[in-house]
Amino acid sequence: MKYDIIIIGGGLSGLTAGITLAQAGRRVCIVSAGQSSLHFHSGSFDLLGYDVEGKPVTRPLEAIGQLGAEHPYAKIGFERIARLADEAETLLNEAGVKVKGDSKKNHYRFSPLGRRIPAWLTTEGYAVCEEADTLSWKRVEILNVQGFLDFPTEFISAGLKKQGVVCQVKSFTTDELRHARKSPTEMRATNIAKVLADRENLRKVADCINAVSGEADVLLLPAVLGFSDEKSLDELKTMVEKPIAYLPTLPPSVSGVRTAILLKRLFARLGGTLLVGDKANGGVFKDGRLVSVTTDHLPDESLYADQFILASGSFMSHGLESNYQRVFEPVFDLDVDTAGKRAEWTKEDAFDAQPYMEYGVRTDRDFHAIKDGQTVGNLFAVGSVLSGHNPVRLLDGTGVSLLTALQVARTITERR
Amino acid sequence: MSSVLNKDYDVIIIGGGITGAGTARDCALRGLRVLLVEKSDFTNGATGRNHGLLHSGARYAVTDPESASECIKENMILRRIARHCVEESDGLFITLPEDDIHYQATFVEACGKAGIKASVISPEEARRIEPSVNPDLVGAVRVPDASIDPFHLTTANILDARRHGADILTYHEVTGLTVRNGRIEGVQLRDNHTGEDSEAHCRLVINAAGIWGHGIVGMAGIKLNMFPAKGTLLVFGHRVNNMVINRCRKPADADILVPDDTVCVVGTTSDRVPYETIDDLKVTQEEVDLLIKEGEKLAPSLATTRILRAYAGVRPLVAADNDPSGRSISRGIICLDHEKRDGLAGLITITGGKMMTYRLMAEQATDLACRKLGVDAKCRTAVLPLPGTEGKSGDRPRHVYSTAHNAAEGRQGNRVQEVSETSEEDRSLVCECEEVSVGEVKYAIEELHVHDLLNLRRRTRVGMGTCQGELCACRAAGVMCRTGMEADKALADLRSFINERWKGMRPVAWGSTLDEAQLTAVIYQGLLGLAAGKG
Repeated sequence: MKYDIIIIGGGLSGLTAGITLAQAGRRVCIVSAGQSSLHFHSGSFDLLGYDVEGKPVTRPLEAIGQLGAEHPYAKIGFERIARLADEAETLLNEAGVKVKGDSKKNHYRFSPLGRRIPAWLTTEGYAVCEEADTLSWKRVEILNVQGFLDFPTEFISAGLKKQGVVCQVKSFTTDELRHARKSPTEMRATNIAKVLADRENLRKVADCINAVSGEADVLLLPAVLGFSDEKSLDELKTMVEKPIAYLPTLPPSVSGVRTAILLKRLFARLGGTLLVGDKANGGVFKDGRLVSVTTDHLPDESLYADQFILASGSFMSHGLESNYQRVFEPVFDLDVDTAGKRAEWTKEDAFDAQPYMEYGVRTDRDFHAIKDGQTVGNLFAVGSVLSGHNPVRLLDGTGVSLLTALQVARTITERR
Repeated sequence: MSSVLNKDYDVIIIGGGITGAGTARDCALRGLRVLLVEKSDFTNGATGRNHGLLHSGARYAVTDPESASECIKENMILRRIARHCVEESDGLFITLPEDDIHYQATFVEACGKAGIKASVISPEEARRIEPSVNPDLVGAVRVPDASIDPFHLTTANILDARRHGADILTYHEVTGLTVRNGRIEGVQLRDNHTGEDSEAHCRLVINAAGIWGHGIVGMAGIKLNMFPAKGTLLVFGHRVNNMVINRCRKPADADILVPDDTVCVVGTTSDRVPYETIDDLKVTQEEVDLLIKEGEKLAPSLATTRILRAYAGVRPLVAADNDPSGRSISRGIICLDHEKRDGLAGLITITGGKMMTYRLMAEQATDLACRKLGVDAKCRTAVLPLPGTEGKSGDRPRHVYSTAHNAAEGRQGNRVQEVSETSEEDRSLVCECEEVSVGEVKYAIEELHVHDLLNLRRRTRVGMGTCQGELCACRAAGVMCRTGMEADKALADLRSFINERWKGMRPVAWGSTLDEAQLTAVIYQGLLGLAAGKG
């Protein structure tokens, strides 16, 4: 089979690159192993949340200039970031991921523990605030689904009370939700979202909320709505008498799953091919170029393309792997930026910057991958598989995924 | 000052390991007024950092016959009195091509002398009954080894001690011994949570503080020749073996693989370490390398099994009084009457021994205590079953049949009847790897001296499974809040719990353990914003 472009990895960066290239009229195939790190999403996208010293960033476009030369943003070129950020926002909205925000100025999202965390774009309907230490609410009610442990209301309410907000925690349930949790392992955000995808069930939840809620400027609810589109998020707003805002939960993230579904849907609409549940396992290189790749499910067939993009993620997505001796890239054994000795991969305190977080595929300034010291002219790397930044410290993971994907897509389309 | 401390106790026991817990139970059963104090949590020392092996004694049969016969007797007793903590798996002693097969005959003979049933089986039979065993084995002997959960065993002893009137204080550290006219009359205590000082009075102190016992007697100017011996172990993410696998040779490093609950554990190394390091043991890369290399010889599938974590404990070894060099170290039970030995009345030290001979150690210490106090009461701990094992398992209400109930029963034994299962919330799962419900967490908080997530882990296995606390730690912290803990304290506790888990993962952080560590960091630091220092 022959494509213009084959992308390995169907997460945020792979889908973003795929959509952009398909929009440019290319025949694109994405090989996707399955779960992506979007399943751990907060409902917000980050450009740069913290600077290298760990201080919250107010103006990400300005702060980006301080990053080191190996940071993927530096490779893109700082002057291009603002434009790519706009393109990313447009792409998300086109896919139906309705987000709001401004790359010039971060706002704050809420964490499931109620902490305020800098963010660039946040899903509409989710609770946000403009500043870290001011809140517009005086009186808040936190409403949880009974027995749903992945929304730790105690922490959220303690945080709000500290800010002088009058806060009450209540819970509700319906027969349908009760039924959905007959098995105690099933009380997960995504399972609840499936129940609430039914309009009748949603109506009953709204009735419960209207019945239990008292005096409050806003009702805070766990983001357990909108499994495959954002309709139910809006619908519940119209059904509930008081203003509501959603807060992210512990994983799996409904907003992340929804984002993945919406991006895949757009990619398919554009004529892209998605090989779901398949895994690239190797490729044939010739004269400094990648000719074809093979996958687990198509052992007798090679997939050919002019250009290839590796968007396979970091360790947790198995885009990078490690063993007793070394860190490696498992599909092509590309060159990886890493420290030699295992003892240097980690630091003693879990909350210190862990060196392994910055490990990843080595690329040139155009994100061409490097194998055995040689640049591979038609193989690019994007997203979390890249080396050079610590997404947990800097809060730049989703931004790097979106922007490097857009940048590489542009490089490819401008090439011909 | 706390009100319990106004009582006059017959005995104050120092140390909340299995020896202290067992001694508290024995003393309480014999009618003594007992206070047990522990500076940290129960099982924080060697009790919680070993194989969880219920030795048959076979390991010691050749080299230390006395220990071997102690082991087999206690083995049989614990199967009766602590049935809910024991998994009767049996064990194999295998001979590999590199081992001397002639040792097998010596071994079997020595087992016979010690009263340990040891049957030689063919390598084929060994491979059939334990498919994970190294297929190259050239000989095998089957013995009555088993696995035992030291956490639940300690809890059960504590509960029974409490039921018979003992007072129990965790996080209370002994800061001094009150000595008057050559006789100990009490202890000075510091509450390690609040920093508050207090004093408690007694007629007799039993030092059951394991390796820390060295410091306890030191407070009275008494010298004890203790040698901290560090032992490192690895926990694997699956239970690859169903029988204990040992090497049939003289005891050496890393030659025991024990199936424990959902995991298996290989160990140990053995190194003398400086006394100053005992509160912060570090696992070295060399130890990990050795454990993997030797572990794979017992069960080759360990080579491809994820390592969950590494941990180390300190054996409280004591050298003979006339041997300051420590060459003639005893692994047997040591029960010291300091009145006789050092001229200080009212102080007993019980140490040495093994986790699984705790009951016998407790009996010896309590016998001595009773003699000193002029109390005539017989030891009953060998016949009275522990809470969790005593009685019958309750009738399970049909509507709550679940594997989680079975898992809880596996941990708490018959006490599972005290775990609330009636409300939906109580049946929600906090920890999916180990199937721990909200009800069980609440039970542990109310009944089992739980102050933080670390305590909770030891009482319920929350966070002990394959994910090492990925979501359950946060959920459990939420439940702790609901039962009265302040949110800020719970968050600080959550941070230290994550760090404690990382401490064990870091020495083995490659492959899926590294993947899991990254996922945990992404969730706790990225998504939840639980960074160090941030309020």
